[in-house]
Amino acid sequence: MSQVPVALEVSNIHKRYGDLKVLRGISLQARDGDVLSIIGSSGSGKSTLLRCINLLEKPNKGSISVNGEVLKLKKKKGVLCPTDQKQLAKIRSRLGFVFQGFNLWQHKTVLENIMEAPVSVLKKNKREVEGFSESLLEKVGLADRRDYFPSQLSGGQQQRVAIARVLAMEPQVMLFDEPTSALDPELVGDVLGVMRSLAEEGRTMLIVTHEMKFAREVSDRVIFLHNGRIEEDGKPEEIFKKAKSKRCRKFLATAV
Amino acid sequence: MTVRVTLAATFLGIALGLLGATARLSSFLPFRAIGGAYVGVIRGIPELLIVFLIYFGSSRLLMAIASWFGYHDYIELNPFIAGVIALGLTFGGYATEVFRGAFLAIHKGQTEAAQALGLSRFRVFFGIVLPQAWRIALPGLGNLILILMKDTALISVIGLEELTRKTSMVVNATREPFTWYLTAAVMYLGLTVITTTLLRYMEEQSRKHEHPTDAASSHLVKE
Repeated sequence: MSQVPVALEVSNIHKRYGDLKVLRGISLQARDGDVLSIIGSSGSGKSTLLRCINLLEKPNKGSISVNGEVLKLKKKKGVLCPTDQKQLAKIRSRLGFVFQGFNLWQHKTVLENIMEAPVSVLKKNKREVEGFSESLLEKVGLADRRDYFPSQLSGGQQQRVAIARVLAMEPQVMLFDEPTSALDPELVGDVLGVMRSLAEEGRTMLIVTHEMKFAREVSDRVIFLHNGRIEEDGKPEEIFKKAKSKRCRKFLATAV
Repeated sequence: MTVRVTLAATFLGIALGLLGATARLSSFLPFRAIGGAYVGVIRGIPELLIVFLIYFGSSRLLMAIASWFGYHDYIELNPFIAGVIALGLTFGGYATEVFRGAFLAIHKGQTEAAQALGLSRFRVFFGIVLPQAWRIALPGLGNLILILMKDTALISVIGLEELTRKTSMVVNATREPFTWYLTAAVMYLGLTVITTTLLRYMEEQSRKHEHPTDAASSHLVKE
């Protein structure tokens, strides 16, 4: 196992808002191909952790590295700020982030949404990107929606476009921040289906989720967060059947 | 001339408004202060006074600068430029607030998604935020443009031969004030009708993606 390269490593991440300590020293490592699910009750810091990894939220302490490259950070007024915007952009482009609220650009069509970053960030040839984007749309089952605007799509379709938009960057790690929490129940399945096939392709994924069944079936490891700390970290069968922590057992009992 | 002043002042004002709104929303306190002071001053002074202040103030300033280089004659800023600066500054002050509102109306997630994909700050602003803010700002900007167009009459006081000044020259010559001022009023009305039509067209263009059913069906027809 140990020869598989580490795709993402975060260590000792701390984050507080005023006096409220949201993250109290989180360290975790994902190797290439790992699918990690992060679970926990709301307010446990799951989303904040994910947002700290690509610096949408600035942590107060800690370090982040992607594929062995350490993100350069410097403390300013108590929070860590990036010192090299170019490096930050490069690292972010390797971390695909899927939001709870999709966040597709409302003024661009589906295809334009997907093509924007590969063309403007990776400076790829437009025509090549177009072909690739179309193949990604096919993969998420929306080939016939390429010229639609986001407002013309259902939530589930929008989230699948958002996933395609991230895939277009060929990221090394994908971060999912409660990707199905904003969806109507009948649309959840389509999105989870796409995520499942990504996991099967061997993509490295970090998934913050409330879908326990999905976490159990798809993940290689499940991490239970409580009060800003990792309380359990193990294989899904260990966590779901014989979690050591009482809180984790209680959470699973009410969540499943 | 009226049209030229309006166009030039609109461009200047939109640029200033964008700068002002960016400054007012900046996380850097001095920028916020400058933006706030700009809006406060512009909104607090009658436009006519701004025109006078720019016209006479700028000629003093220019003369002061020229005297540094040993040039001591009387210099006067051309009324067109002075008028454009004065009205552009005014427009910019109000446009700052229009743009600020528009920027605030854009969901934070739009920017976050762009940042998370590694887009440059330039691209985030001009590719993602501005096109959406523009759509929201258009009705407010349209209002400002119409007000500006009529405010160009103020520049007649510094001698620019725009519509109002020309009219009063004709009035002096013909001694038929009502007829000619009415004619001028109709001409202003004509200009505003044209402008309004143009603005409506621009709004429709910018809102294409907001009519799900129309666009979807037109797409289906195309297929």
